[in-house]
Amino acid sequence: MSDTPQSANRLRLVVADPHELLAPQLAVVEASPPGERRLRVPLARIDGALEALVRHGGRLSALFLVSAPEPSLLAAVAFQGDLLALRAPLEGAREYPSLSRVTPAALLPERELHDLHGLVPVGQPDLLPAVPPDPDTFPRRVVGDQTFVIPYGPIRSGVFESIQYVIETAGEDVLALQVRPFFKYRALERRFAGVDLDHAVQIAERVAAIAGVAHATAFCQAVERALGVEPTRRAQRWRVVHAELERIANHLDVAVKLAEDAALSVGAARFAVLKEQIQRLRAGLCGSRFGRGVLATGGLAAGPLLEPKTVLATLDGFERQLKRDRRLLLRTASFTDRLIGSGTLDRDAIDDYAGVGPVARACGVAADARFERPYGAYVRVGGRISTVDDGDAMGRLRVRLFEIGESLHIIRQAFERLDKYGPELRAGVPASDGAALGWAEAPMGEVIYWVEVANDRVGTLRISSPSLRNWPLFADAFRGDVLTDFAFIEHSFGLTPAGADR
Amino acid sequence: MIEWVARGLRTGIVTSRYPRRPEEPPRGFRGRIDVLRPEHGDAALTGICPTGAIAVDDARRVSLDRGSCILCGLCVSADPERFAFGRVYETAERRRASLVAGEPPPHDLHELRQTLGERSRTLRRSIHIRHVDTGSDGGEEWEIQALTNPYYDIQRLGFFFTLSPRHADILLVSGSVTESMRAPLLRAWEAMPEPKAVVAAGTDACSGGLSAATGVTAGGVDRVLPVDVYVPGSPPSPIALLHGLLLATGVLNDEAAA
Repeated sequence: MSDTPQSANRLRLVVADPHELLAPQLAVVEASPPGERRLRVPLARIDGALEALVRHGGRLSALFLVSAPEPSLLAAVAFQGDLLALRAPLEGAREYPSLSRVTPAALLPERELHDLHGLVPVGQPDLLPAVPPDPDTFPRRVVGDQTFVIPYGPIRSGVFESIQYVIETAGEDVLALQVRPFFKYRALERRFAGVDLDHAVQIAERVAAIAGVAHATAFCQAVERALGVEPTRRAQRWRVVHAELERIANHLDVAVKLAEDAALSVGAARFAVLKEQIQRLRAGLCGSRFGRGVLATGGLAAGPLLEPKTVLATLDGFERQLKRDRRLLLRTASFTDRLIGSGTLDRDAIDDYAGVGPVARACGVAADARFERPYGAYVRVGGRISTVDDGDAMGRLRVRLFEIGESLHIIRQAFERLDKYGPELRAGVPASDGAALGWAEAPMGEVIYWVEVANDRVGTLRISSPSLRNWPLFADAFRGDVLTDFAFIEHSFGLTPAGADR
Repeated sequence: MIEWVARGLRTGIVTSRYPRRPEEPPRGFRGRIDVLRPEHGDAALTGICPTGAIAVDDARRVSLDRGSCILCGLCVSADPERFAFGRVYETAERRRASLVAGEPPPHDLHELRQTLGERSRTLRRSIHIRHVDTGSDGGEEWEIQALTNPYYDIQRLGFFFTLSPRHADILLVSGSVTESMRAPLLRAWEAMPEPKAVVAAGTDACSGGLSAATGVTAGGVDRVLPVDVYVPGSPPSPIALLHGLLLATGVLNDEAAA
């Protein structure tokens, strides 16, 4: 275990063009905005097409029911630096070949599509109702006289968001763990329909408050790509500043919670002080402690309330304190002992479930949308993807602590050329039609939006949230762990039920 | 471990002295929306707001329901002569109707702060809080957790978070009450001993906020439980929540006296 995570060189397999790869599935290339490649396949061939992509390193990032240009099933696949939109027109059908046979990453999205839209994945083994869940009924997975069930949640022990874990145990060892999200299902995707673009950004910011800037960025970029709008350079740089501050606050929050779990009171208080400093900086910068009211389609809704030099001076002071606390935290054995070896995931699990964010990066998978498919100002500002190979709770914390430093570095770069750009904050958005995918790297992983726009209003909108994508891995992380590790494993994931449930 | 002690000591005292001393929000803070000019409103003003918080009556008087307002600021950019962000933390109210701006303010802020200060001084027992999330966006939880950080440190005022509703005096509810959270919320409330108070934390809990229109949530905690204190905000800041909790102790005192 080295002290600093190394930056990983992603091995790129040289394979044929996806169109050639999917020729046996009768794939047809469709016109698409840059950075996204669209292929149309018959519905009956979508499982074969996905299988071919997954075999060549593709990761299923999203599975959506879309309406444009016609009702279709759309599988977004991260494939060799592109986001492939594999679209299969439904043509009136309500059934499709299940994709979870190809990759378990499709399991939860398929159940959601079934419950919300009545689409049946033929061959899916587990179609139990997921949305909305009943807190009192849950299926047992383990059979045996000596085993019992602990339903943990939806009301949690402490100030946490609602979610339910069903733990099956014989006393100490966790035999099986089921994650039950959707207790907070608010039908927000439906809430977007028919709403004008300025209002829609407000909804995007409130899907998951702690990743609100990332959600708003993904939404705005989907609209901008659909309508061919280039946000102003100045706005792109400020978006990055807000997004990185959000990342820092989230990573610090994870450190606070882990220190609390280990009863390291002063450590928890120190990191809480650091987090509060960042939240206050965000409030000073835009009036909101969650970076709300900043983004708008085409750029920014409002200019920053602080000068870059004020922000930089605050961050310099913050970094000096952070370095001392970080060094001390990683040297405190009573703390690190609880994390090392807890909740270990292997790389195969990440590949199977297409895991994202720090959870994936702690298993040596260099998944980070900022650098895989750079968007906005990330095209111009550089950073390193931090990965470690440990795969445990400690590895996830180390990735996060390293990323705070990288985020500070990115913010400083974002400010460097700011005065060279014109004062315009917002580019005009034409009242035309279009549909596109938009993505952004939230603190917990990549968030993907599918947005259909017509006459300045949103039509069908779909969200793939990193929290929902990583939650199945949570059950996997419990192999060989005991009940007392629960809090450490949960908090090391750093997910938000609001984002998963929508 | 000794190094942590030194680290803690070097931090010094960062703790707020609220409510004895007022807390000043930063410039441009989105605490609440004030209606600067309520008269001669155009009916089109209602369309600016994503949650329908703006109303214009027959006499063309404009009012804004802070219980539905998500502080997005679209009204401030559309009509800055009429709407403005209020740079205040204390937004909590005992009555839902008092959240409507454009009416005369119900009380003097300085006087209120003094009362709250008295109250925190004379708390004869500690107040235990049970938090329940019924479908928030996750922001309220961060701000409630922040109450225990060294800046706000609500233990100094006799507030403690408790795990069991059976030990709780205050039920602090975030979220608009989704279908799946209705039964667990009611169960937690029924388990609490008397006297008890319910605090709705955040605009979603006050009115359903943005998710009210989808019809899959109850549209606010008061559709399910009697609410004693409303703390609007998207999300409410830690000081706003503290203000709401102090108002709720007044409810408990009144109930205990009755």
